[in-house]
Amino acid sequence: MVTTTARTLSFREEVENLLHAEEGASLVRCIQCATCSAVCPVVEFMDHTPRMLIGLINAGMKDEVMASNTFWTCASCYACTEKCPEGIRPADVMYALTRYSLWRDTFNRDWVAPEFSRRFTKTILRTGKSYEPGYAPAFIFEGGFSGMVREMQMGLKLLTKGRMPLIPSRIKRIHNLRAMVARVMPLDGIE
Amino acid sequence: MSERKKVLIVDDDPDFVEGIKAILDTTYDTEVAYNPKEGWDALKSGRFDLLCLDIMMGRGAEGVMMARKIRKDPVLREMPVLIITSLREQIAFLFPGQAVHPGFVPVDELVEKPVDPDMLLKKAAAMIAAAEARRAAK
Amino acid sequence: MSRYAYYPGCSLETMAATYHVSSMEVAHKLGMELEEIEDWNCCGATAYSHVDELLATVLCARNLAIAEKQGLDIVAPCNACYKNLWTTNAALKRDPDLAEHMNYALEADDLHYDGGIEVSHIMDAFSTPEILEVIRQKANDRLKGLKVAPYYGCQIVRPRRPGLELSQVDNPQYFEELLRAAGADPVPYPYKLRCCGAALMVTNRRAAVQMVRDLLQNAVDSGAEVIATACPLCQTNLECYQAEVNHAYDADYAMPILYFTQLLGVALGVGVKRLGIGKELVSPDIVLKRAKAGASSASS
Ligand code: SF4
Ligand code: SF4
Repeated sequence: MVTTTARTLSFREEVENLLHAEEGASLVRCIQCATCSAVCPVVEFMDHTPRMLIGLINAGMKDEVMASNTFWTCASCYACTEKCPEGIRPADVMYALTRYSLWRDTFNRDWVAPEFSRRFTKTILRTGKSYEPGYAPAFIFEGGFSGMVREMQMGLKLLTKGRMPLIPSRIKRIHNLRAMVARVMPLDGIE
Repeated sequence: MSERKKVLIVDDDPDFVEGIKAILDTTYDTEVAYNPKEGWDALKSGRFDLLCLDIMMGRGAEGVMMARKIRKDPVLREMPVLIITSLREQIAFLFPGQAVHPGFVPVDELVEKPVDPDMLLKKAAAMIAAAEARRAAK
Repeated sequence: MSRYAYYPGCSLETMAATYHVSSMEVAHKLGMELEEIEDWNCCGATAYSHVDELLATVLCARNLAIAEKQGLDIVAPCNACYKNLWTTNAALKRDPDLAEHMNYALEADDLHYDGGIEVSHIMDAFSTPEILEVIRQKANDRLKGLKVAPYYGCQIVRPRRPGLELSQVDNPQYFEELLRAAGADPVPYPYKLRCCGAALMVTNRRAAVQMVRDLLQNAVDSGAEVIATACPLCQTNLECYQAEVNHAYDADYAMPILYFTQLLGVALGVGVKRLGIGKELVSPDIVLKRAKAGASSASS
């Protein structure tokens, strides 16, 4: 007896499945007008412009998309999302792709951005609050020695001005917060 | 020949779905939904004897959300749910080496990817049989 | 009297402590009560959404639930916190399954959220018609003629909240109005809605430094003597990294960057120390001089 095989899923559909709860229009509506790229303030630092990225997704070029630094370069400024004439929300697509690249382990270990997000996320789980000095190391290994020196000089000035705490603060009910997180991320060791 | 049982797979990974569907197709009529929303619609429009559910989908661990919703539904709660997940690997970047906490996933069974075909078929058969026995006992 | 649940956000305890103290001083002067959300936690910034949107939601849901328990609508001074809290609030109100799941998580902290409160940026609270009227009446003339670039940033207006027209977020005017009410002279600042780079200052330094350079140059071109901000990320990037811009571009920018609440405070006669003015790496001399001139004429 013949059974139907699994419907082959396009990469665009895979990306849209990540966005199933979001409000933006389907990526098929992209008319490649490049409005998003024109208003993007970081476009020149991206491997692919937002327009190109959406185009590659629609063309099913998964490997090219996942190797691109574009979604880790996005600053979440939502300028593209505001202006897209088709109601597509490229900023949400960028977030979907960062999730996808972490879950499927396709991100580039040399990039600072995933490491920064990891440090940030772990810090909040430990203390409930963010602690800026803890993230500097994510940058320092990219900034080289002179960058590190300038960063430390600035840190010292901020310290003397009372703008840089030495000890991270911590919320009172951090254990409850962790228990909350364990209910939406069911892993041992979080609570 | 008795009527074939129906299985629904809700999983966002097309490659994995292709494999597991091929295995289940040998014994069951299987349908696939690639996100929780489609999955819920499928559950509401047909009757399934077993649900194979992924965890990390869409915004995050939405499989947990869906399993909890099923357990609260007066009809669907009778349906056995088998979680098939690679949660551990998918979130290893954040929580390396942590095992899945079964207490927070209200389902009958939980297995981790990759799955052994024989084991999967045995589990599926046992879970469907157990659900039938429960129904008969009522 | 207006009362709000105040969500400071992590930066306001550290780098942006001056935003916190000046907000408190100004609120006090204007007869507004800011009740800090009890045991609030981080909003998740952009990092949580990079990793897992439900984790981001659970963090914000806790703050919303505590504020609801306090019976107050939230104001947040940080653009990013505001956007995260606002978006989560909207998602919880629109999606009952999500709300149910988050309430299951909230049980672990004995909390529950019913979707009964609203979230605003603190600038919204400081620019209602009634408050603007109070500011006009109470403001001295210390900011008179001071050329201020009103730097909104991104997430204070984007993504657009339902019910707002594109024109309202394309060229908003409420920051300018607020500055005018305080006696200052807002200059047209074409880049007022352009991104400061936010966390890219850590993750992509070259990009962020260029973004800050563009914002500074545009302010200089606009004739601004000071840039007013409404977000701790914007302030930190524009101010603390000005030296980095000068280094990278062989430039000599010395543009003071103050929180809008610090300027409001000067106009309302609060002392510069109490507003935290003087803790900058780029000295806001022009504002200090005006504040002192005002103080001596007031005491004479
Ligand atoms: S603005 Fe919208 S329609 Fe135009 S290229 Fe970008 S995503 Fe496509
Ligand atoms: S949200 Fe990201 S992609 Fe869109 S304009 Fe801003 S930086 Fe560019």
